[in-house]
Amino acid sequence: MKDKLHIIVIFSIIVGIIIIAQIADLLLKPASFDEFGHYRWNAIGDIQSQKSVNQSINTCKECHNKIYQLHEKDAHYNVPCVDCHGAGNLHVAYHKGGNDAKNITSMQAVMKKEYNLEGCLFCHRKLAARPSDFPQIDKEQHFKFLHVTDSTTKCTECHSPHEPVFLLTDVNQSRLHPIVYRCNDCHNKAVKNSYSDVPNHPKIFECKDCHSDIVNDFNKRPHHNYVECRTCHLFHKEDETIGRIYKNGNAKFCLLCHEKKSFKDDKYPPKIEWPAHISKIENIKKTDEKICLNCHANQIHKMALSNNKSPHGSNWRSEHKNFAFNKADKKMNTSCSLCHQQDFCFSCHKVEIPHPEDFADKHKEIIQKKGKALCFNCHKTEFCKGCHD
Amino acid sequence: MEKMERRKFLKLGIYSGAGLLVGSFYAFSNKEKSPDVKKYEDLLQYDWGFIVDTTRCIGCGACVRACKIENDVPDSFFRTWVERYEISDKEVVRVDSPNGAIESFKKNNFSGDVVKAFFVPKLCNHCVNSACTQVCPVGASFHSPDGVVLIDKKHCVGCGYCVQACPYGCRYIDHRKGTADKCTLCYHRISKGESPACVNACPRNARLYGNLKDPKSQIRKILHKRRYGLLKPDLGTNPKCYYIGLDMEVK
Repeated sequence: MKDKLHIIVIFSIIVGIIIIAQIADLLLKPASFDEFGHYRWNAIGDIQSQKSVNQSINTCKECHNKIYQLHEKDAHYNVPCVDCHGAGNLHVAYHKGGNDAKNITSMQAVMKKEYNLEGCLFCHRKLAARPSDFPQIDKEQHFKFLHVTDSTTKCTECHSPHEPVFLLTDVNQSRLHPIVYRCNDCHNKAVKNSYSDVPNHPKIFECKDCHSDIVNDFNKRPHHNYVECRTCHLFHKEDETIGRIYKNGNAKFCLLCHEKKSFKDDKYPPKIEWPAHISKIENIKKTDEKICLNCHANQIHKMALSNNKSPHGSNWRSEHKNFAFNKADKKMNTSCSLCHQQDFCFSCHKVEIPHPEDFADKHKEIIQKKGKALCFNCHKTEFCKGCHD
Repeated sequence: MEKMERRKFLKLGIYSGAGLLVGSFYAFSNKEKSPDVKKYEDLLQYDWGFIVDTTRCIGCGACVRACKIENDVPDSFFRTWVERYEISDKEVVRVDSPNGAIESFKKNNFSGDVVKAFFVPKLCNHCVNSACTQVCPVGASFHSPDGVVLIDKKHCVGCGYCVQACPYGCRYIDHRKGTADKCTLCYHRISKGESPACVNACPRNARLYGNLKDPKSQIRKILHKRRYGLLKPDLGTNPKCYYIGLDMEVK
């Protein structure tokens, strides 16, 4: 027994340490630790209780509904208020009042009113890495094109950030248009030759390919030396095969170049005082958005667009069906997709060509939806007979 | 007699030492009051995931600025940042992110032809098998039940193991508080139904977050439709941040 005493001592020391460790675990471990895993459960509540700083556009709209409506319609509709005006938590808390507003001075509650040139260039500076369909500005070129002499001019002198491109039509209602390929979609450097001068160059579409008469007319008039089609007809790429064309015919757009401003070269292009220019003229509707065109349309091009060069030739229907329809086994050719992508016809017609899959059942519904006018573009009374004997 | 006194003295010392230890444990034990938390079972309905569409990003840095002000991130550290990849016609690749792109990018890196260039915004991937939570010695870094990797800043000792363990470089030590810190997917915002600050600030909809457990959520629809990639999938960390249009050069 005497020999075993030291063993008992060692064991009792070990047991003592274990007991102390257990007490330590009980007392020192936070109460909610290990509740649902190897972490403190209450930490989740701590992190959740952090106050949010950036306000969403829905909060801003509650008070600034008028500017929200304007902003919603134009190209910046996707840009949230916080990007230009700052986070806005103090502003909202101050104007909502209550306990949160106590320690906020009225100075802290003021939002940024405007952005300088640099702020706009965060998004719009010309960089190789930006997607080519995103509007980008090379400051030097832009100022040179517009004959701006003062290089410190702010963007907001001409562009209103809430309606930057002065669209006449809502973004979602503007005209859908098949894609226009531009040289710099493929080439990084400025292109000197026309693609038609380069042997074996793949065919690309230009405005004049379809709208030849209007382009020819434009080339006879004074504007053609200085601007191109897409200076006024902005193009926004929606996906690989389709985009939207915005027409800019309103007075604000003309004034971008032609209004007299201190920072612009006063000789060229011709400048006018606004609105003094129209104040003397009687008998015109001063609220008309396209007011400039009423007198000056002859400076641009004729205004009626007749698309006489339809993408399909005049005998297209009678000839194309010979390729598309195999008379021997009375089926559509499957080899069409070799040249045409699946959504090739769809990108203009917005209907599956020749028939949607459920054509037989739903034909009536489709007519109601699309309207008869669209159908008659292709379908004259004899149309069905063209394929079906 | 002398021998006995020494033994007594040692015994007394051990007992009083143990007593002091237990007493100090009691003194340091903190009785925390529990904040309002959603029920554990409610949180299990969510599994937050993130989509970055690199084809849409324009590198404006709005997300970086919004994150910095939302989470009070110290200067020169970032919870999210934007990288720019430029590949010249001689197949030279340059990657840069000047100050996390907080003031966007000033000019192209190459003066000559750039054959391919794009932006890649980065943030914590909220990996399912995250390296950073495994190495935490005190259990301060953890997965929330709704699949977000979080840091318990009251519990963190600031040892910095997790900063070294993260293969994506998404963690940093906040020297003002002496704790590790990282993207929380704006946990305080998403738990209230608001979108994270960076998603809220993105002008091009290049960022999207959503519930991966909900089959009708937009994030699931996009993941079924678009082709996406993951960052460093070979590490087996199983990230939940999906990159649409990811290039091979992005590491």
